[in-house]
Amino acid sequence: MTQILLYTDPISQGYVILITGLLIVFSALVILALFFNFGLPVMLYAYKIITKGKDKKISEIKVKGDSNFTGELSAVIGASIHMYLSEQHDIESGILTIKEVKKSYSPWSSKIYGVQNRL
Amino acid sequence: MKKLIIIFSAISLLVFIRPVLGLGANTTSSNSTVIAEQVDITEGDSIIDEAVEGIKSFYSYTGFANTSSGNIIMIFIGIVFIYLGIKYDYEPLLLIPIGTGVILGNIPFVAGNQTGIYETGSVLNYLYFGVVKGVYPPLIFLGIGAMTDFSSLIANPKLMLLGGAAQIGVFATFLGALYLGFNLQEAGAIGIIGGADGPTAIFLSSKLANGINILPDGTTVKNLIGPIAIAAYSYMALVPVIQPPLMRLLISKKDRKIKMKPPRAVTQKEKMIFPVVALILTLFISPSALPLLGMLFFGNLLKESGRTERLADTARTKLIDIVTILLGVTVGASTQADIFITKDSMLIFGLGAISFVIATCGGLLFAKFMNLFLKGDNKINPLIGAAGVSAVPDSARVVHHEGLKSDPSNFLLMHAMAPNVSGVIGSAIAAGIILSFLG
Repeated sequence: MTQILLYTDPISQGYVILITGLLIVFSALVILALFFNFGLPVMLYAYKIITKGKDKKISEIKVKGDSNFTGELSAVIGASIHMYLSEQHDIESGILTIKEVKKSYSPWSSKIYGVQNRL
Repeated sequence: MKKLIIIFSAISLLVFIRPVLGLGANTTSSNSTVIAEQVDITEGDSIIDEAVEGIKSFYSYTGFANTSSGNIIMIFIGIVFIYLGIKYDYEPLLLIPIGTGVILGNIPFVAGNQTGIYETGSVLNYLYFGVVKGVYPPLIFLGIGAMTDFSSLIANPKLMLLGGAAQIGVFATFLGALYLGFNLQEAGAIGIIGGADGPTAIFLSSKLANGINILPDGTTVKNLIGPIAIAAYSYMALVPVIQPPLMRLLISKKDRKIKMKPPRAVTQKEKMIFPVVALILTLFISPSALPLLGMLFFGNLLKESGRTERLADTARTKLIDIVTILLGVTVGASTQADIFITKDSMLIFGLGAISFVIATCGGLLFAKFMNLFLKGDNKINPLIGAAGVSAVPDSARVVHHEGLKSDPSNFLLMHAMAPNVSGVIGSAIAAGIILSFLG
């Protein structure tokens, strides 16, 4: 390849790469898209025959799991489970009062605690 | 101020007692012999002389003595990166390591002590090895694969074409770089900025514009890994700034409101088949992209197989984090001012911006074009074309937000993820093609 590049103008070489490159990228993605549009049902069909041995027409095989169960539905379920699971607070007392219920005592700030309780 | 004086006096004291304690032996050998002689001949005078001498030599080793305007500019840029990451939340996981790296790489030092990233044997140089040899990008791709859910793509395979359309940015920039006088290899590496994919850009530039390859006419290519990586990552961070105006410019209000029908649920079997088939198909077409696409689909298989959850979990959390840290810091540090601040870097930054614009426009216009052939329910919202420039998942998020602006009940994120992930595949294929043409 480099031998060819040496004797040709880089700009024209650039156009060649531009066109072939775009073509290849597109064709690769088109092949992928085609496969998943048409090839996949066939594969799933073949798999079904191998595993279950039932005779079915290709048109009868549905790729769909459940037509009513859309991505949006699963997103909602996923979001609610996530919110439920990440809700990991302790249950709080719920009593609202102006007075301070607890004293602001803590072993961390207590001097006498440190004196009495040696580690 | 007081502290400063104390520190300074402590340092000067240290320097002062150095000859007495015989610490002079720590400096270079020629120096130490001189010191020893002086100490032998005259005691009192030489100690003060020596102290002054010591302070001078210490000063000559500090950053203050060796700094250049370029270093100052780059350190400032590094601080701006960190600021952008923290304040505006623009890809902080990338900008903060890179920003720190930029500062690290531009601390002025005396060459020859194995300090700098370009000095063989230095620690940073060892870490930089992963960038130069293209080790890090495939590992990042492994993590991305283990993170990505391809189901929206499987549900609607035609959206895959949008990921291809955005690659026009890659090839248009490639051509632009050629016109600006870069040679083929360098232009190929610069073009991939339009793929909006940091790891791919680093991978390709480490193969093509690495400062080692020798061109047919006998000259070596320039080392453009630093500028290209920085350009790619900074424009990726700027996707929320670059894309919305283009969307508003090219897509009419009516089109922006198009609601797409929700993608169908995809079975687990399909999800498992996808990485295997896509791996084989894409790599047969573009084998040079093997390290990138191979790892991407491998990671995805780990995720979808359902049996290797542990491996997938490591790949998408710990492993990708580790590699991101190393990659960010070393790419940042590779922007050492004397190598980075050149006319080429400025051109690369200009071309990078243009390539992002072209890629976005390509995706948007192709989506409009596709709409000509689609009817009724199947029409796509042209906004999702903009997500074809990989930049996962930022551009999909931008599309989602733009969609919400025109219609608060239109949720495009799921749909936008399809062109988004196919953009990753597309840009990796494009990188493979460029590599096979020019490598």
